[in-house]
Amino acid sequence: MKTYDAIIVGSGAAGGIVACVLAEAGKHVLLLERGPVLSFADVGRDQLRNQRLAIYGHNAGPELIGNPRVFVDPQGRSRLVKPHELDYHNNAACVGGGTRVYGAQAWRFHPNDFRMASKYGVPDGSSLADWPISYETLEPFYERAEWELGVAGDGGVTQSEIPRKRNYPLPPVLPSPHTLALQHGARQLDWGTTPVPLLINTEAYRGRSSCIGCKYCVGFACPTDAKTGTQNTVIPRALATGNCELKTSAVAEAIDTDDRGYVIGISYFVSSSGAPQRETARSRLVIVSAGAIESARLLLNSRSSFHPAGLGNEYDQVGRNLQGHLYPRAYGLSSTKVFNGIGPGVTIATIQFNHDNPGIIGGGMLADDFIKPPIDFWYDSLPPDLPRWGVENKRFMRDNYTRVMHVRGPVQDIPNPEGRVSIDRTVRDKWGIPVARLSGTTHPATVEAAEFMRERGEQWLRASGCEKVWSTQPGLILSGRQHQAGTCRMGNDPATSVTDEWGRVHSHDNLFVVDGSLHVTNGGFNPVLTIMALAFRSAEYIARLS
Amino acid sequence: MNSETLRAVVDCLIPPDDFPGAYDAGVCDYIEQLFRTDLADHAEFFCAGIDAIDAEALASYNAPFAVLTPDQQVATLAAIEAGAVKTSWHIAPSRFFEMLVNVTAEGYYSDPQGGNRDCLSWVMTGFEAAS
Repeated sequence: MKTYDAIIVGSGAAGGIVACVLAEAGKHVLLLERGPVLSFADVGRDQLRNQRLAIYGHNAGPELIGNPRVFVDPQGRSRLVKPHELDYHNNAACVGGGTRVYGAQAWRFHPNDFRMASKYGVPDGSSLADWPISYETLEPFYERAEWELGVAGDGGVTQSEIPRKRNYPLPPVLPSPHTLALQHGARQLDWGTTPVPLLINTEAYRGRSSCIGCKYCVGFACPTDAKTGTQNTVIPRALATGNCELKTSAVAEAIDTDDRGYVIGISYFVSSSGAPQRETARSRLVIVSAGAIESARLLLNSRSSFHPAGLGNEYDQVGRNLQGHLYPRAYGLSSTKVFNGIGPGVTIATIQFNHDNPGIIGGGMLADDFIKPPIDFWYDSLPPDLPRWGVENKRFMRDNYTRVMHVRGPVQDIPNPEGRVSIDRTVRDKWGIPVARLSGTTHPATVEAAEFMRERGEQWLRASGCEKVWSTQPGLILSGRQHQAGTCRMGNDPATSVTDEWGRVHSHDNLFVVDGSLHVTNGGFNPVLTIMALAFRSAEYIARLS
Repeated sequence: MNSETLRAVVDCLIPPDDFPGAYDAGVCDYIEQLFRTDLADHAEFFCAGIDAIDAEALASYNAPFAVLTPDQQVATLAAIEAGAVKTSWHIAPSRFFEMLVNVTAEGYYSDPQGGNRDCLSWVMTGFEAAS
């Protein structure tokens, strides 16, 4: 049997980068992806079956049948959920992972995001902790991600809060009419604003063309391939070396260990022609990059007499601290049309409230939103006092779709160890693998911060000239979804963390986790650029081994 | 399920004005397709709800829903939405009504496949420029 230098499970934001760095360093790599390569046509434009609005289905996998999870609600009632249901906390299952269909906001975390416990103390019931590394340690890798993949933005305006050595390689997206209104409002309030950094080519970059301003970024694939994911950057680079073998529709079952408990490879299923077939691959290193839910599931499902609770789980830490973001959303009715039909739609943000808010732990970024198709707007954005049907509802859609301004943002999640991934041994997927069981909630302090941010959103819209303003406030729920993180946190103490600062599982020399699972906290920002930066850092370290 | 009733119901939910109502936009086609495919498991539930709307109309006005005046139609649906029904329902009125309103809006505002004929709601809202 062929022995690889490394097997990487998952080809998303992190796995694609690890594959590229290792392959370019001459390592022989097997990259396993449970989903397929999805073309633009495969992803499609179905407005009711996509990653953003998944009422009847989902366009980036996994398939609705045969891939259940178990969700336990805050009252303790458990039920089976399918991938397109909100409580499944799906991201995507395809080459590129979530980066195939995401909106592509490319934020660095704030320096204080790496030292939350030192800055705020640890609230009761929370597992809030500092990262084992600082912003300064990660800064060169943020820069590398921004330049090797391609981020558009203006780093100058956030230099005092989030210092950087080098600006973005691409200029920011152009303002829309609503941008100017929000800029004006922020000036009235004396708030700073910044263009939203995006992994979208505002100009041709590294062989791919520029954005044409279509209205279908988040939830869909890009018609000109101007939206940047790992599937159109680092994975092609990895394959071009000849050192990386990409195996799609390959579902990892377990990390294999030998009779001394030492990690030796992976068992996985493929179904090239109908019937599922179990295959094994052997390697000197295994790197788990399957996302915060599936990475934890794989470790927990890899049991032996040496590791009865799963790999890396000696202290019952694997799967805990599942976090994502609560998203307060505010809407304002402008007296003039603010919609020009040019995507992406997200243009302007404030990072004024990410920290140092009185009585609040953390905070978050607020930004405008990607263009919402009318059905998404109808479900998400109408004022609560508007009738849901009849002539008044239709008139609002007709008159105000182009006049509503949107402000929303991710609130820093205060981790709760009871918000977690475990294994339901009674439910199996179509391969026979026990499925993930999701339970618990975020910490109440997250809800307090979300309420504070909701008020800031309304305040911003009022100052921007909106007479009618409304908003939605998330309650105490489990967060995760596309920003899922935290389930294999890094740290120096094996009793309270799963890996060291490089993503190496404490109890195993040759087993790594590299993805959002490592995040000790998840910042008040979209997390993908941090996942990418950490992947570059860990991959460089792994490439130097052996 | 009476297709005349469904037609009148969706046009009451999204009535014609300067722009076509739900029926002319193809919403009934969308709904029939949806309950043959993604919502096939709920088809019986949905048909029972449409039939119950007619029963409510008969109980209140002694006529089927489709021939009521616009005001009577609105009053009938508003009562069902509020759960203030006069007849005996085998399904939860408010749950049915939420599904009814949602699938009607989907047919009107979502992709032009069945509903949203000629992208009319996208032009109406300004999502797409008129050509």
